[in-house]
Amino acid sequence: MSVQPQPPISGAAGLTPRQLTHRLRQMLAIREFERLGEQCFRDGLIRGYYHSYAGQEAVGVGFLNALDLSRDYVVDHYRDHGHCLLLGLDPEQIFAELFGRATGVSKGKGGSMHMYSPERHFLGGDGIVGGGLSVACGVGLALKRRANDPICVCFFGDGALDTGTFHESMNLASLWSVPTLYVCINNLYSMGTRVEDHSSLSQLVDRAQGYGVKTEQVDGQDVFATTAAAERIYQYMRQTKRPYFVEALTYRYQGHGIHDKALNYRTEQEEAQWHSRDPIQLLAAHLITEKILSAQQIEDLRQQIVAELQAKVERAKQAPQPDDAELKQDVLA
Amino acid sequence: MKKLSMHEALNQALREEMHRDERVVLLGEEIGKYNGVHYVTRGLYAEFGKERVIDTPISEESFTGVGVGLAIMGMRPVVEMMRMDFSLRAMDQIYNHMAKIRYMSGGRLSVPMVLRGPEGPGPNPGLTAQHGQQLTVLFAHCPGLRVVSPSNQYDAKGMLKAAIRSDDPVVFLEPGPLNNKQGDVGEDDYLVPLDRGEVKHEGSDVSLIGYGASVALCLQAARDLEHDGVSAEVVDMRCLRPLDMGPALASVAKTNRAVVVEYAWQSYGPGAEIVARLMAEAFWNLDAPVTRVSGQEVPLPYAANLEELSKPQVADIVAQAKATLR
Repeated sequence: MSVQPQPPISGAAGLTPRQLTHRLRQMLAIREFERLGEQCFRDGLIRGYYHSYAGQEAVGVGFLNALDLSRDYVVDHYRDHGHCLLLGLDPEQIFAELFGRATGVSKGKGGSMHMYSPERHFLGGDGIVGGGLSVACGVGLALKRRANDPICVCFFGDGALDTGTFHESMNLASLWSVPTLYVCINNLYSMGTRVEDHSSLSQLVDRAQGYGVKTEQVDGQDVFATTAAAERIYQYMRQTKRPYFVEALTYRYQGHGIHDKALNYRTEQEEAQWHSRDPIQLLAAHLITEKILSAQQIEDLRQQIVAELQAKVERAKQAPQPDDAELKQDVLA
Repeated sequence: MKKLSMHEALNQALREEMHRDERVVLLGEEIGKYNGVHYVTRGLYAEFGKERVIDTPISEESFTGVGVGLAIMGMRPVVEMMRMDFSLRAMDQIYNHMAKIRYMSGGRLSVPMVLRGPEGPGPNPGLTAQHGQQLTVLFAHCPGLRVVSPSNQYDAKGMLKAAIRSDDPVVFLEPGPLNNKQGDVGEDDYLVPLDRGEVKHEGSDVSLIGYGASVALCLQAARDLEHDGVSAEVVDMRCLRPLDMGPALASVAKTNRAVVVEYAWQSYGPGAEIVARLMAEAFWNLDAPVTRVSGQEVPLPYAANLEELSKPQVADIVAQAKATLR
């Protein structure tokens, strides 16, 4: 990966100082949420799997803020906590779900990978790599029948490009002209397998070509780049009712899941290189340079977010487990 | 009542439901312009157009997923598998999405879709090992699905209409051997419930219990037994998940004997489940061990004689029924 740090530019992506501060706040919230979540996992409060979004924040922030949630929908993969936060789900309910509590997003029945919020137009995380790609095509097909030019955004990792359903779904989306944006979050590793070892082409964007779908790569560390791309792409999709494919180049700071320490397949040097282009630091540097916020104000903001999230963790901990009778509820209508 | 073939009855159900509810859309291979390989969607493309009768490429996994996506958005997709054998390509969507989204979301989303298609050796002979399998148990095993299989034309229409109106994902297994066979179908807008089996022929000496295409074999066996002075009752299970044991239990309480009949392979199949439930719930009513007549445990062979030998035989049902009376 040879993406060079782009010099932060004033008024980037047309965002006002207030909007920029909001985006910083969102990225900090995701980072701190995942930090607390991993602590809760180590404390035994969270079971099963935990896939951290830390490091990838600028992707979600760019592509989800630009959506219009009065009409648009999101289909997600298993690394879904950050996207849930950005779509406005209550962190307390997300923590409650992670703790397996009755007040959780999915009443404690789904867990980390299976958050849903029809109210916030969030149609689910998904535990199967590539599992949401065709579902998102169906969502787009349903949206195409609606009058106000809605779109669907589908997130997945680089490993999903190796599934057959990726190619089937791209073909169907293009054939039927479905307004679904496919966002491949390329964090360089399909679980522990590096792109060069799992993909016949090292530029993943090349593998999406051949279906008559517009494609592009975007710097997933740069929130200005993801914001500008999202706004431009959504406008194109609303006008043309066409699908689109984006490869967002980014890096996850943790292993694939919490049990994976990424010890044997990544070098410290590579990790340090990516940390030097941390999406939060890039935005913070811009805000400081532009005198929108001071370093101290940013640290104060971070601490305020941590305090708020900690309070939500405590409240989620107090929530009851699902009633035993819930075991057999929701299997059928 | 009107005499219609199974595929005509199913076609009528689709047409009526598409007129009734604009959310009903059809997806599948060759269902539109081609007019349906097994004729079930005949004429619907011309009548409703390509937005509602959607021809798909040969991408079973993904067009099943498209159905899931449409369903969670409030549409009522009916997804056709040209043969149910091809649904093996779609099992991730069926098992991990269609069947699970309601539960995983704590009931916040539902998947009101129908996955339908013919299974088993028919209508035409010589389908061979990858086109004529009876895979009922794969679906019936999975919580979160409703799994039904009609045994006659009347039920086929009413059950498909009920399946389309259900808020649950329904796997609708059409008995391939009966696809072109005719029978009475109601001309009105009627529904047949998705959670109730039914006695199809009354008798008092032995219960013949089947589902889908095997019910026709049971009815033929009952006629043959009648010649020999044996009164057989035929129970159509009809709804395999949730499995309605009511009529079978009531029948066995009367006859005290049972033979379970299916086209499926015997080991671990739906018949095995039915026998286990009879043992648990009707043990004290039984005067003889419950026996089974099933498809032979081989891939469906091509040669005419071998194919015929691989299917459950009426003569075997008659013999097993008589054996329970000894």
